[in-house]
Amino acid sequence: MSWHGVTTVARLELRQRARASKWVVVLGIWFAVVALVSVLSYLALNDPDARSGAAMYDVVIFFVLGLGMLIVPSLTATSINGDREHGVLATLQTTLLTSADIVLGKLLAAWAISGAFLVTALPFLAWAWVEGGVSVGRIILSVLVLMLVLAVVCALGLMFSSLTARPVGSAVLTYLALGALVFGTVIGFGLSAFLVNDRETVRVFGVPDDFYNQNQPTYDANGNPVPGTERVATRADCVEHDQVRDVTHTERIWWMLPLNPFVVVADAAPSEPPRNVDTGAGFTPMRWISEGSRVARVGETGGVRQECWVEGPADAPLDPTEAAAKGAAVWPFGLAFLLLAGGGATAIANRRLRTPIRRLPNGTRIA
Amino acid sequence: MLTEGAPARGIEVAGVRRAFGDVLAVDDISLTARPGEVTALIGPNGSGKTTLLLMLASLLVPDRGTISIDGHDPATAPSEVRARIGWMPDGFGTWDALTVREVLETIAAAYRIPAPQARARVDELLHTVHLADLADRRARVLSRGQKQRLGLARALVNDPSVLLLDEPASGLDPRSRIELRDILRSLAAQGRTVLVSSHILTELQEVADRAVIVARGRSIETQELDGESVGTALAGWRIDTLDPERLVEFLTHHHVPAQHVHGGMLEVEVAGEENAARLLTDLIGAGVRVTAFTPTRGALESAYLAATEDRQ
Repeated sequence: MSWHGVTTVARLELRQRARASKWVVVLGIWFAVVALVSVLSYLALNDPDARSGAAMYDVVIFFVLGLGMLIVPSLTATSINGDREHGVLATLQTTLLTSADIVLGKLLAAWAISGAFLVTALPFLAWAWVEGGVSVGRIILSVLVLMLVLAVVCALGLMFSSLTARPVGSAVLTYLALGALVFGTVIGFGLSAFLVNDRETVRVFGVPDDFYNQNQPTYDANGNPVPGTERVATRADCVEHDQVRDVTHTERIWWMLPLNPFVVVADAAPSEPPRNVDTGAGFTPMRWISEGSRVARVGETGGVRQECWVEGPADAPLDPTEAAAKGAAVWPFGLAFLLLAGGGATAIANRRLRTPIRRLPNGTRIA
Repeated sequence: MLTEGAPARGIEVAGVRRAFGDVLAVDDISLTARPGEVTALIGPNGSGKTTLLLMLASLLVPDRGTISIDGHDPATAPSEVRARIGWMPDGFGTWDALTVREVLETIAAAYRIPAPQARARVDELLHTVHLADLADRRARVLSRGQKQRLGLARALVNDPSVLLLDEPASGLDPRSRIELRDILRSLAAQGRTVLVSSHILTELQEVADRAVIVARGRSIETQELDGESVGTALAGWRIDTLDPERLVEFLTHHHVPAQHVHGGMLEVEVAGEENAARLLTDLIGAGVRVTAFTPTRGALESAYLAATEDRQ
């Protein structure tokens, strides 16, 4: 493998793509669609109380990821078997290029094209930043994670195109694999939740149930409550006690969530929570996903639940689950998994391009 | 680059076998192709020619047997072999969106030829295969024959010492065929090994030094195509005459087996040109007015038909 070899293949691929299809038109349409979505979400979510940058940022990032995952497979999913069908792969294989040169060159070219889509969307992320509510650091981090996720998608397409004889087959397999990552993980998480359901005794710090029985107001003969007999619970009435409750141990199944590229991108750089809790932050799907999956990761801590929801002199201490969730980022796991999957896919594609071939799988042709 | 003085130059194939699942594509092929010669590989469709060339081109490992290309084994030392071979596949495609020049420059880059040298080499090749005036056209617009010539140029980019050409003449017009013949001869004259598979036997007869006939995945025989062997091979001759009765009478009298073919001509089988010339002299001497005396097929054709007679 050599850099020269990789760039030779990448240049060839880019030249082919640039001329074979109307990429200027496609990029133009892409720009227009992202612009439309940004403007509409600005108009829809422009809340004078909250800074609308966060909402725009979420919408644009997710839109780029979603549309990117639709477009990128078309760059690589037909790349190797398409070349085989056109009889141009073997001409490269008999030169001094190695299989790694060819695979990485194709990957690099596809990645560069998906990068072009991302760059086209950058002005709208800048707009979100101007609107406020998101920092430049977060935008850079999510763009980086987005680039890595798109590279993984490229690699998956490349692998399937090396595994199947027909371009149609590999395109379908690539979309199915992405579908499994995006929808399969969420469905799997939801459906397996009942497996980790349990009826358990948990420690709760709060007003015990019998408090209300003991402090029922007494009624006089006319049925009117006698003043002074009813006592409202105060902070002093909160005690630690046991309760039997339905508990979902999401800490056993949370790992399904970060396999989802959307969760990875959302959790890597969610917009900051608003400083003033009461005004709310508007429509921020990335933060919701991020918080939800972090809470799922922490799951059942076994700690004492803080449920002393009464007016009292002291502020209630933070619930242990919520506290733990702040530091329980899930995206590093997801990104590591996706990068491993991408690396594995590239290695498989490389293996399948190695010549001379000893065992030729059924239905594949060489030249 | 020609490897001067390297041991065992040329192509040596010994007892090669290759199966795809249940299908035995190449059963047992052995052949030798020497530098400075054009060796023809001929055989019916599905006889294993293309599979053999894939193994020679370092794309496929043989199940059994050995291959040596300029002393290197394509299965164990593919990059040594690739640096030395030029392979022109049968029915190949090309990068449609690239121009003819870009196709060749891409291949040159794939051989790690520096850009300035590559440019000069490409110009030279475009001239050789008569594509210079189409150099900046997209490969997509080329005709089949022009694509074939581009394929030949592509196989020559790395200045290979061994050329593997799979059906190079298919789709070529008569003029391009004659030019191809001249190119092949001059490549061989430069000391390169040229192995060419083809169906067009009359073409091969004129360009090849020897022919390896393969059928059902086996090499049947190697036919020398120099003057001497052609001079002694059994061949058919057609005779047309103004005196058909006297001709038949003469042939019957001299026990020469003959058969009538269309147009009132007679066809006889004679071993070698020497005997054919004597027959013609005798016919004239006997007063038969001969108007045409022509070979029906070449020695290669006869050998090919004999070798593949049992084909279903």
